[in-house]
Amino acid sequence: MTADTSPRAAVPMGLVPGPFHDRLVALNHQQAWMNWMGIASPAVLDTVEFEYFAIRNQATLFDISPMMKYRIAGPDAEAVVNRLVTRDIARLAPGRVAYAIWCDAEGNVVDDGTVFRLGQTEFRLCCQEPQRAWLDDVAWGFDVSVQDVSGAIAGLALQGPTSCAVLKDAGLAGIETLKPFEIREFRIDTHPVTISRTGFTGDLGYEIWMTPDDAPGVWDALMAAGIPRGLRVIGYHALDMARIEAGFLLPRVDFVSSETHLRPGRARNPYELGLDWLVALDKPHFNGRRALLRLAQEKPRRKLVAIEIDRDKPALNALVYHARRREVGFVTSALWSPTLKRNIAHAWVEAPWCETGDLWVEIYLQRELVWQRRMARARVVERGFFRHPRRTATPPADF
Amino acid sequence: MSPDAIVIGAGHNGLVAAARLGLAGRRVLVLEAQDAPGGLLGEAGGMRVAAMPTGLDPEVARALALHRHGLRPGRPLATIALGGNAPVRIEGGSVRGIDAAAAAAFADLHRRLGRHAAALAPMMAKVPPRLRDGGWGDLMTLARMGLGVRMLGRAQMRELLRVLLSNVWDLLDDEIGDGPLSGALAMEATLGGAMGPRSPGTVLPLLYRFAGRPRTMPEGGAGAIVAALVKAVEATGGQVRTGARVAGVLTGDDRVAGVRLEGGEEIRAPLVVSNAHPRATLLDLLGVRHLDAEDARRARLMATEGMVARLDLTLGAAPGVPGAGAPDLCDRMVIAPDMKMLETAFNAAKYKGIPERPGLECHWDAGASRLAVSAQFVPCGVKGGWSAETRDRLLSNVVSAIDDALPGTAAKVTGVTLATPADIEARFALPGGHWHHGEFRVDQMLMLRPFAGAAQYRMPVAGLYLCGAGAHPGGDVTGLPGWNAAGAALKDGRRA
Repeated sequence: MTADTSPRAAVPMGLVPGPFHDRLVALNHQQAWMNWMGIASPAVLDTVEFEYFAIRNQATLFDISPMMKYRIAGPDAEAVVNRLVTRDIARLAPGRVAYAIWCDAEGNVVDDGTVFRLGQTEFRLCCQEPQRAWLDDVAWGFDVSVQDVSGAIAGLALQGPTSCAVLKDAGLAGIETLKPFEIREFRIDTHPVTISRTGFTGDLGYEIWMTPDDAPGVWDALMAAGIPRGLRVIGYHALDMARIEAGFLLPRVDFVSSETHLRPGRARNPYELGLDWLVALDKPHFNGRRALLRLAQEKPRRKLVAIEIDRDKPALNALVYHARRREVGFVTSALWSPTLKRNIAHAWVEAPWCETGDLWVEIYLQRELVWQRRMARARVVERGFFRHPRRTATPPADF
Repeated sequence: MSPDAIVIGAGHNGLVAAARLGLAGRRVLVLEAQDAPGGLLGEAGGMRVAAMPTGLDPEVARALALHRHGLRPGRPLATIALGGNAPVRIEGGSVRGIDAAAAAAFADLHRRLGRHAAALAPMMAKVPPRLRDGGWGDLMTLARMGLGVRMLGRAQMRELLRVLLSNVWDLLDDEIGDGPLSGALAMEATLGGAMGPRSPGTVLPLLYRFAGRPRTMPEGGAGAIVAALVKAVEATGGQVRTGARVAGVLTGDDRVAGVRLEGGEEIRAPLVVSNAHPRATLLDLLGVRHLDAEDARRARLMATEGMVARLDLTLGAAPGVPGAGAPDLCDRMVIAPDMKMLETAFNAAKYKGIPERPGLECHWDAGASRLAVSAQFVPCGVKGGWSAETRDRLLSNVVSAIDDALPGTAAKVTGVTLATPADIEARFALPGGHWHHGEFRVDQMLMLRPFAGAAQYRMPVAGLYLCGAGAHPGGDVTGLPGWNAAGAALKDGRRA
């Protein structure tokens, strides 16, 4: 492999503007910015409620440009990506996307992300955390080049029931035939874009990829086409609500990457995370395979489970108890789901209570400075609270 | 008929492993790339790289009945430190040639270091413990290892812990001052490695040598060890095949299946024990495709810059030692007049230069009229690469250092054979040309040897074992890595 030796500018202090910053500034009435990989990313523009309901009922735009993106290309690209992730990438056809995780030698999860197979010998990996050093290690000894293209590609997540209709209105012929996890080239106005039918909401949605130069033009075209369809720009908080409903995991929130954890025993393997379905033990050697073969035989010592909780108060940062007495876990993500009208959460629960526990969560409420404690019964349910049939219907219904 | 086990490389550790496997009833085939067995201890290319071996571990020698195969251990060699006003003769804790006060100070230091080494000795010989995730289990493992140290008593334990990771310069300067005696001891602490006397962690290798066997020259010279080991292998029905360079390890279903020789011949066996360097074993023979990224990175980045050049000088007449009480020339002569000189030599090597005055260890073979010289602090990757000019400069620096210590030697030289670390690297497919198959320092010892996650002789692919000096307990001619590796393979075989 060859190293990316392009010169880099000095890192500026504070947050830097992303490719859609000018547009976002105009709409960000709250001026609530978050730090996403050093780029100013909106937490909320108007109100979380408006933005959340737009995800579930209309269409929403969210700037995903700060996501880390790597181009892996060359004769050994498939071998390298297959060595990296636990899924069998040899079975991923060009023009398709796969959700994947990758593990260290001990079988603990380093990060998760999406693998875009752009061609027979070209892949793009999108993920939350910087992975350059890890990719270089995995690619060493192979005929492949690894490039960080995070800054060279701008991204927009267009999600929601009317998202397909918005794209059709923007003149994208044939967008309705794009299947889930498929990638295709289009033009928006005069701007070339790559669109994948992927997302983070458990609903119909697309991710639109373009150069930073094309970004403002694409934005303007989508906004113009989207107004009649209720298109709204959203910030991270609203997306996070949809993320929990959809049952997607977030590194640093639901689990700690094996590359960044400091304390022994804090890293987590796919079996604990409930991601067994992403591990193809029958393919040739990949990173962590030997450890995963062993772990697959063992009962996980704990599991990240989806729980549904009685009563309506979200179980933020709550401890989980067995039979109201024995502490057996803790909640990582929690939400009163406005769409499902259910009190949902992700929680780490120790074995064996993750399977058959008489589980309770201790919810903390502060009311005018006074703290209250409430024990509420919790049940383990299937993860992915919100999976709408719209997510996979092709062609999507015209809303 | 295909063998039960293949050993890659007929170095002493490969032969020890083969003999132990043979004793356990395995049909073993040892494949050696050179035309003669022995590895660095053999005479491939007309030169024995390990000219002055330490003695094999006595338990290994006994278990393999090497006395019945003709090995007669000679007497331990004394060390003669040259380059000072008079030769200093060191035999264990007794030293002659310096004043009585200094000799007493040395005897005291020697006794203390001996006790410290003895406290560490059990962990040196045994299979290193396995460290998993840095949790409580690991702490218990380390605690058990620490028990021996604790048994030294409070004061001695504190003293050991104080010096353990410090540098040999400070220790020796405090205790006995600089001079030929300290020079010889500092040479002992640094020989073969890429650390100078002032580098942190150089006391540990010194203790390691104290815990190990003294250098002995068996009857018939160092080659007698190889000959006896080959006989021991053959006595169990094993075979040593020379001129057979292994090009790759064959696998199937994530298990070892045999080896492929240069030229394409494939030999099948369910067990392969590699006496090659860890990096060569993993990256060149097994291949990165079979490795997790972390193991590939550690194999790639492990410290293994060789620092010893070997020279054989044929002399027209025996070298003369100045002063009265001329020592036995067949003992081990060290030319490192003081620690400062060694540190200066290391400074040059650190920046890939050739030192003006390398540290030298010499041995006179009267039968062959040959002075075997090991020159310390000669970097493998010398600046600008090895050329006729750099080789000449090294040779002239070495000869003039010898001539200072043994006047008149330069004029007696009639022939020279020089092997730079780069030559050793090329001849033996030994990364860095490193004697010990990897730097002998605290982050590459015990359960970190050759690197974290690869200790305990088992390589990532089932059925592949590492038995060379890159495995614990490491370098010198003890045979313990080979013995332990074969033990690990047999234990796994019983379990399977």
